[in-house]
Amino acid sequence: MSQLTEQTQRPPASGFGAGYLAGIRDVVVLELKQRLRSRGWYIMLAIWFILTGLVTWLTWASWNAQREAQRAYSNFLPPDTGPGSMIFEVVLAFVLLFALLVAPALSANAVNGDRAGGTLAILQVTLLRPGQILWGKFFAAWAAALAFLVASTPFLVIGVALGGMTPGHVIVALLMLAVEVGVVCAIGVGISALAGRPLFSIVVTYLAVAGLVFGSLIAFGLGTGLSQGTVMANQAQYRNYEPLRPVPDETAPQEPEYTCSGPLRAQPAVRTERVAWMLAMNPYVVVADAIPYTVRVNSGLGMSSPVGAIESISQGARYAMAGPEGTYPCANGEAKPQYLAQSTPLWPLGLGLQLLLAGLLMWLGWRSLRTPAHRLARGTRIA
Amino acid sequence: MTENWDRIGIPAQPESPRQDGISATAVSRSFGQVHAVEHMDFHAPAGKVTALIGPNGAGKTTLLLMLASLLAPDSGTVTVDGLDPQNHRAEVRKRIGWMPDTLGVWESLTAREILTQIARFYRLPKAGIPQRVTEMLDRVRLSDLADQPARVLSRGQQQRLSLARALIHDPSVLLLDEPASGLDPGSRVELRVMLRQLAAEGKSIVVSSHVLSELDEIADAAVFVNRGRTVRHQTTDAAAASGRRYAISATDGAALAAKLTDLGLTFRVEDGRRPAVSLVLLNDDAARLLRDLVLAGVGVSSFAPASGALEETYMNLEGERR
Repeated sequence: MSQLTEQTQRPPASGFGAGYLAGIRDVVVLELKQRLRSRGWYIMLAIWFILTGLVTWLTWASWNAQREAQRAYSNFLPPDTGPGSMIFEVVLAFVLLFALLVAPALSANAVNGDRAGGTLAILQVTLLRPGQILWGKFFAAWAAALAFLVASTPFLVIGVALGGMTPGHVIVALLMLAVEVGVVCAIGVGISALAGRPLFSIVVTYLAVAGLVFGSLIAFGLGTGLSQGTVMANQAQYRNYEPLRPVPDETAPQEPEYTCSGPLRAQPAVRTERVAWMLAMNPYVVVADAIPYTVRVNSGLGMSSPVGAIESISQGARYAMAGPEGTYPCANGEAKPQYLAQSTPLWPLGLGLQLLLAGLLMWLGWRSLRTPAHRLARGTRIA
Repeated sequence: MTENWDRIGIPAQPESPRQDGISATAVSRSFGQVHAVEHMDFHAPAGKVTALIGPNGAGKTTLLLMLASLLAPDSGTVTVDGLDPQNHRAEVRKRIGWMPDTLGVWESLTAREILTQIARFYRLPKAGIPQRVTEMLDRVRLSDLADQPARVLSRGQQQRLSLARALIHDPSVLLLDEPASGLDPGSRVELRVMLRQLAAEGKSIVVSSHVLSELDEIADAAVFVNRGRTVRHQTTDAAAASGRRYAISATDGAALAAKLTDLGLTFRVEDGRRPAVSLVLLNDDAARLLRDLVLAGVGVSSFAPASGALEETYMNLEGERR
């Protein structure tokens, strides 16, 4: 899947060597010069920096306050992992949220804004090819959006520095954030080439982003209701539940807490794997799933629950992806691994679908930029 | 101006083997239900200025967009120096300079930066670009404002920048959509001189404009279009030869009218600010009539062409339409 979709982002009139790239670079230079000279961009960047800083500080402060409270009123102390994981997760979620909000504004008027200003036809009448214009606009929008990620890097690094995380987390997180922002920029640029008016294309791009973030959840939720099915399973025999007896330390994946016996019977189950791809398209799922975490040994309570939001999202999504065949107790007569051990990554599928969507919109946008133009959208004037 | 007129007689020196200007044959283009251009024929030879004249909505801009290879005709063909834009995109683009009716400048960029960018988009040799840009800025008298952001330029200055942009790659065909709109009288004269020079260099120049008296001075020929069709193709000389309307006013209007009736001429009483009559005359007739009137003792206070030669044709066409 991922191999296939990585190619959908290639330009349809794909590169003819250095000349093609030089044209793209010239368009990027033209775009960035204009962006760097607009004050609004700097103001947005400053607001972004301050907000991210504020969120980081508040997260850290609230973690401290929580710990103080725990110290003061109970003798129970959680293992001291530092606030790193929490700050990192909150900042990451926040940065992704804001990146998803900023990227459409930076990209979704790229083409039709020029059309309205009468400058698009001036580019089209030169030797530039439609693909060069479109890619140039895309890379310029992406670069402008990446500046916001760069501005938030210090806070992600703080999250790591305060403990619990490795630099690898920051690098993977930034990489995935950059890719997600790129996807949104490509969607925005593609829509801006298709829609007549900048306002319309910006709204549509925001709706597309909302569709990816919330629509994917809603669609998944509704989809699961329609995915009733059965799974062949037999009886699970649980061992005696002894909550207070510590389980001896074992390495993961943990041995199942039950054994399977008896004849296989069709059991009702929700075939979540049929609709998990919708969940996979969620940018939060893609980012969370791509960030590595270690499969932890069980805590003393015999429960294995994920630590932190990233793991929860990732495991939840992988659980849905695995479906009853992989998660139902004693499906096909086999004991299933623990919750935390769903190791098949979901993000390549999600990212692939996102790239497919972005690639499709870019391709449609490219078609609308071809000259001499055969078809024009209703009401558009080419110049 | 006269020296420029004289230069028209010199045949253009062709630079490339085929330089026969730009032409459209039976092109049609419709937008939904609207037939913007229907079966239009157009030819602008090299070394000449061809005017494209027609009322608003006649299809002038649509035709220019097709000539500029931005819009594909539904049927018919466009050729630029014998090349088809569909199949020889790059070659055609190199030959075409297009100045749209919308200004379209990147406001935060300076004039110099805009021209440099466009030169790069035309893939001019990199080493020569700064010099070429300076040259073009000089040519449109924007050197003093070269490093100001384009947003501070006045409309006329932006118009000149737009012209420089259309010329940066030294095209052999120049398409100008309403180039004189927004220009002050001085700049109009300059534009006129410049277009004559460019034509003398062997470029084929297409100008669409409403300012018909302007076109009398610039254009060698005019193509009149209306309702998406080519209505008439006429050279400026032919237009002049077919007579133009003269307005005559006299201290004694009755005496003037009597004398004209005597001479057997049909005339029209104009209800302008000053009482005057007007009638269509050829140039030779005009001289004779003025002499006759003066000799007859009519106190002629003004005797002048009421309209340009092309305007006359245009108004006649308008009349036919109604």
